Amino acid sequence: MTMHCTMDELLALRANEGSQWARQHLDTCAECRTELDALYQRIAQLKALPALAPARDRWPTIRARVVAARLSRRRRWAASGLAAAAVLAGMVVFRGISGQRAYADELAQAKRQSASLEAELQGYDPDAHVQSGRTAAMAAALEDRIAAVDAQLSQLNTGPSPVGPQVVQLWQDRVDLMQQLVDVHVTQASYVGL
Amino acid sequence: MASACPSYALLRPSKAPGHHNLQEMTISLAVPDILVARAKSGDEEALEALYRAFETPVYNLARRILRNPEDAEDVLQETFLEVVRSIGSYRGEGHLWGWVRRIASSKALMRIRRQQVRAEEAFDEEAVVGTAPMSIPARVDLERAFEQLGETSRAVVWLHDVEGYTHEEIAEMMGKTVSFSKSQLARAHARLRRVLEGEGQT
Repeated sequence: MTMHCTMDELLALRANEGSQWARQHLDTCAECRTELDALYQRIAQLKALPALAPARDRWPTIRARVVAARLSRRRRWAASGLAAAAVLAGMVVFRGISGQRAYADELAQAKRQSASLEAELQGYDPDAHVQSGRTAAMAAALEDRIAAVDAQLSQLNTGPSPVGPQVVQLWQDRVDLMQQLVDVHVTQASYVGL
Repeated sequence: MASACPSYALLRPSKAPGHHNLQEMTISLAVPDILVARAKSGDEEALEALYRAFETPVYNLARRILRNPEDAEDVLQETFLEVVRSIGSYRGEGHLWGWVRRIASSKALMRIRRQQVRAEEAFDEEAVVGTAPMSIPARVDLERAFEQLGETSRAVVWLHDVEGYTHEEIAEMMGKTVSFSKSQLARAHARLRRVLEGEGQT
């Protein structure tokens, strides 16, 4: 019975990593040469596939979130009494978002997102999954940062006016960190924007 | 240094799908350094120009990997939010597209793994392939055959064969081993071959 190259061997040959047996076999086997040619053709055809474009323009959404994040940062600076914040606030006018109501809306949204992420984390048992050392370290670092944010929130909540730019920003920071923690726990991915 | 570009409009790829292939796009993805510098400073126009330049290649990468167009659009959005947040840390080492592509690939792979964990699925491609439509024509073109693959296989094939990532890089992004990446690629090509030969016909 004639032995032929497996797909693993054909891929290795394509990568110039084929075994001696596979290279020698290829010289004498027309069938395997045809298979290797077909592999090259498939890959060339994949590279030549037309580029797919999104049906919708996502830039307006991205821009809105970027602007909202900048707005929050500038509010925080203002609350801190930094003189530069006044200059920056005068440079950019954000129509339609203002005052206490905007703070309350943003706060409510951040709290909803935080609760949703908390629920997601509770549904995932990290002890039941094997984690790499790197994943565990990333998760621990994120948990520490969340704890620090919670401590700041706890301090602010004892003050007379808990709804303000600092509170909103802290909650949004908490949501960002929670999202990263979910990504680390659930995906155990190597890329996290730490 | 990237070649000079007289107008941001020149960075904008055609919106019409099917008019560019990846090789053509790679040539057109050179971004002027001045544009990157402006984006780093938070210049909104420059950030939008970057978005317009990379919108189609990022979406295409995500869409080739993920089954659902909505998921691919979400990856596009997440990728650019990350680009805006992190462009200050981009040091200009290598092509900007390489940096953006790495973020997009990671986001797409995260989505696959999150979906798999949520569905309590094993990382078993046969199970995913089993969710594909039952009826496969005797002869299908490569694009349709590729769509029959599970998302993990699609990811490995696309990242390795088209985007040019090594198995080591893919394994790192996926949180898997090099041999996993290699075996996924071999299984995916074996399946592509079978489907293209009509063995997928029911």
